[in-house]
Amino acid sequence: MSTNFVINATNLTLSYGDEDIIKDTSFSVKKGEFIFITGPSGSGKSTLLKSFYGQLKPKSGSVIVGGLDMSTISNKKLQELRTHLGIIFQDYKLINEWTVKKNAVLPLMIAGYSMEVQETQAERLLKHVRLSKYKDRYPLELSGGEQQRVGVARALAKNPFLILADEPTGNLDEYSSNVIWDLMENACEQLEATVLVVTHRIPSIFSHPYRHFIIEHRGVYEVH
Amino acid sequence: MKFIRNHLAFIFPMMAILLGIEFFLVFDRTTNSYEKGLREGYSMFAVAKQPMKLENFKKLNSHIKQSLEIDKDELAKQISKGMSQSNAEEILKSLPYFYNLKLDGYLSSSLLEDIKNDIEESPYIKRVETFGSSYTDSYRLFSFIKLILKVFIGFMSVISLFLIIKQMEIWRYAHKERMQVMKIFGASLMLRSGVLFRVAFVDAIISAFTTSGLFITLKYKLAIDSHMDILSQKQTLLFQVTDFFILFGISILIVIVSVSIVVFSNRE
Repeated sequence: MSTNFVINATNLTLSYGDEDIIKDTSFSVKKGEFIFITGPSGSGKSTLLKSFYGQLKPKSGSVIVGGLDMSTISNKKLQELRTHLGIIFQDYKLINEWTVKKNAVLPLMIAGYSMEVQETQAERLLKHVRLSKYKDRYPLELSGGEQQRVGVARALAKNPFLILADEPTGNLDEYSSNVIWDLMENACEQLEATVLVVTHRIPSIFSHPYRHFIIEHRGVYEVH
Repeated sequence: MKFIRNHLAFIFPMMAILLGIEFFLVFDRTTNSYEKGLREGYSMFAVAKQPMKLENFKKLNSHIKQSLEIDKDELAKQISKGMSQSNAEEILKSLPYFYNLKLDGYLSSSLLEDIKNDIEESPYIKRVETFGSSYTDSYRLFSFIKLILKVFIGFMSVISLFLIIKQMEIWRYAHKERMQVMKIFGASLMLRSGVLFRVAFVDAIISAFTTSGLFITLKYKLAIDSHMDILSQKQTLLFQVTDFFILFGISILIVIVSVSIVVFSNRE
């Protein structure tokens, strides 16, 4: 990477079919920053996030993530890029047939780490999210907050340079939400990862310095 | 119940293919001896002006496997009964050389005609005669039965393969979410499809074992209990160890082909 931008969007337009969701917008995110993206329902927050992990290609303009242009990225490069991202979903997207431990180390499994490394890392990650005692349980045996902590553990498994979170506390109560925010702050501080969170509202307890973008009228604007 | 039904929906078509293949293997083996009998029952008789070796006949047509010279002395004795010694020797000298020719396979009538023509073209050959009146009819019937069996097995295999692919589609749909999650985290197509390969491999192994089991039962139990000579005499040919490896190999090949078709046709 020639600059320290982790994400650089230039005149970015994202659309579903003929309908433009994000139109002609430009912004950039630097390494180690914590970003909140807010906006009303249906404003295109999740759509924007999808463009960062290559789930949606730009209609026009460009978005560069980790030095790779998502408009022209090959499948092979995209696959490689995704192994360096940590992604957290509102609906957790855990594999219900797998134990908590196996879910947590999915990125390590994909990267081809040995079983021993996976085992050690699973212990470390689950200890970090305070779920060690549930390591052999299945996701559906856990509460929503606990499932999301598994999701966070999975996102942190391979020390990603960029963590993308789509409404990570959308389905959680206040206590569970606070635990998740705490884990995200830690990730930003300790891993020096860039964290980008799409959410309805910024948590009041949040103490870490952050930048705030808002999506309005199909544009992305920074709130100062 | 649904779990069992899902697996049986894969195992049954797979077994249909394997049973078809095993039936063909058994049929092929058991009819080999019959085919050999027909082949040996057929004889081609050549009359030559001078002594000929097998190589000479092979030069005329490569299908000739063996040439047996018929003893002229015995023939001369029969002809010269009551004649003087000098006349008998004269007859013996004037007799041509007779050969019984054996062929290398169970050949079609037209090919036999070609062989006959090739031999007759030689200036050293006076005459060629063939014996085996039932050969042509048997050959046609035999070829027809083999063709029907091949067509039936082929047709059954195609239908079964479609059913297997259909079942793979259902499994792919059932594991779609897991595969999508793995894709988001950067898993390759083959890694994401691992679950399909695993399930299909297990069912393929079950199918190969079950099919082999059925034929082993047929070999060691039903063939003896039936008191049918045709089965008990050919008992050793009903199932052989190599058959298991053939069935196993084919079932694995079917899995690889069907999973690959499903996975690659649904690649996003």
